[in-house]
Amino acid sequence: MNIYRLVFIFMPVVIYMALIWAPPAAILGDASRILYFHVPVAWVSIVAFLVAGINSIILLVSEKNRREREFMAHNSAVAGMVFIILALITGSIWAKLSWGSYWNWDPRETSIVILMLIYIAYLSLYSSLKDNPNRGSISAVYLIIAMITMPFLVFIIPRIYPSLHPDTIINQERKIHLEAAMRITLFASIVTFTLLYGYIYRLMNRISALEIKAEEKHYDI
Amino acid sequence: MQSRIIKNLRKDFLIEFRNRSALNISFAFAGITTLSVSLACGGASLSSQVNAVLLWVIIFFSGMSGLSHIFIREEEEKTALFLSLCSDPENIYLSKLLFNIILFACITALVTPLYLFFMQVVPVYILYFISTVAAGSLAVSSITTILGAMVAKAESRGSLFTVISFPVMIPVLWISIKLTADSIEGGAPPEVRSILFLLAFSGVIISVSYLVFKFIWTEN
Repeated sequence: MNIYRLVFIFMPVVIYMALIWAPPAAILGDASRILYFHVPVAWVSIVAFLVAGINSIILLVSEKNRREREFMAHNSAVAGMVFIILALITGSIWAKLSWGSYWNWDPRETSIVILMLIYIAYLSLYSSLKDNPNRGSISAVYLIIAMITMPFLVFIIPRIYPSLHPDTIINQERKIHLEAAMRITLFASIVTFTLLYGYIYRLMNRISALEIKAEEKHYDI
Repeated sequence: MQSRIIKNLRKDFLIEFRNRSALNISFAFAGITTLSVSLACGGASLSSQVNAVLLWVIIFFSGMSGLSHIFIREEEEKTALFLSLCSDPENIYLSKLLFNIILFACITALVTPLYLFFMQVVPVYILYFISTVAAGSLAVSSITTILGAMVAKAESRGSLFTVISFPVMIPVLWISIKLTADSIEGGAPPEVRSILFLLAFSGVIISVSYLVFKFIWTEN
C-alpha cells in the first residue's frame, strides 16, 4: 500500500484538530490556529529542498538512472517552491495578526524570501540549460550549492540578529513552549503535510517517468 | 599541480592584458559607478547604514560586470575543450578562482578608497573595516567563480549570471553591510564572529565547488 495515501484520512482529521479540537492560544486567540498550517508548510519546503539536494548528490555520484534523478531533484525543488510560497503567505497573515504588519523585514522572514529567490534562480538556470546535454549535472551542482547555503539562512542568520519571530521548535533551550493538545495537533499537522508532499512528489515523479518513456519511444507529449 | 595552476593563471592574465577590453570595462564600470553614486549624493551627509549599503551595491555590481568573464571567454573563443585536454578540472577551477579573487581584490581596492574619499567617510575601526571588505570580497569571488562556470554553459548569460548569483550572495551582502556600517559608525565593538562567518561561508563554497566543478566542466 502506498503510505502517502494516508493523507486522505489524516488531512480532514488534522483540519478538525487545528480548527476545533486544539484550544486557542492565550493572547492571539483563534488567530493562533494558523500555526498548524504555517509551521508544517515551512517544514515541508525545507524537506523538499533537502530531497532535491540529496537527489542531486546521488545524480553526480551514481552512473545509474541519471535522467530520472534529474527529474526527481527538479520535481522536489518545484514542490518545495510551492510550499515555501504557502509558508510566506501564511507567515505574512500571522505577522499581520501578531505584529500589525504583513511584512516586517524580520531576519527569519527575510531568510525565507532569500531561500525562495535561490530556488527561483535555480528554475531560471534549469530552463536556460534546455539545449545543454549536461543540464542534469549543472543544475544538480546549483541545487547542492543552494542546499549548503540553507543552514546559514535557516539556522545561523536568524540567530545572529534579533528577531520578532517566536522561537522555532529548534530553540536554544530545546523545549517546545506549547500546551499538550496544541503540541499534538502541531505534530499531527507536520506529519500530514509531509505525507501530502510525499504524495504530490510521487505523482510528479511518475509523470516524469512517463515523459522519459514517451521521449524514448519518440512520442510527443 | 601547483605549476599547472600557475601556468593557467599566467595564461589568463596574459590573455586579459593582451586584450584589455574586458579588464578595462570592469575597472571603468567600478570607477564610473562609484563616481556616479558620489555625484548623485552631492556631498550629503549619509548615515553609516546608507554608506555601507551604497558601498556594497557598487562592489556587488562591479563584481557582476567582470567575474563571469573568465569562463564565458573560454566558451566564446572555443578554447574550453583545449583547456580540458591539458589540465585537470580541479586545476582549472583553482586557477580561475585565484584569477577572480585577484581581479575582485583589485576592483575592491579601487572602489573602496574612491568611495571613502568622495563621500568623505572615515571609518572609526579601520582594521575592522578592511577585514570586512576583504572577507566579503573573498566570499563574493568564491560564489561567482562556480556560478560563472555554470552560466558559461547556458543561454542568455549576462542577465542569468546576476539572477543566479544575487540570491546566493544575499547572506554575504547582508552580513557585510552590517559589519561595514558598524565599522564606520564605531558604536558597537568589532564582531570577529561575523567575519569568521564570512570566511566560513567562503571556505564551504570553495570546498564544495572544488569537488563538483568537474561535473560542470566535463560533459557526462
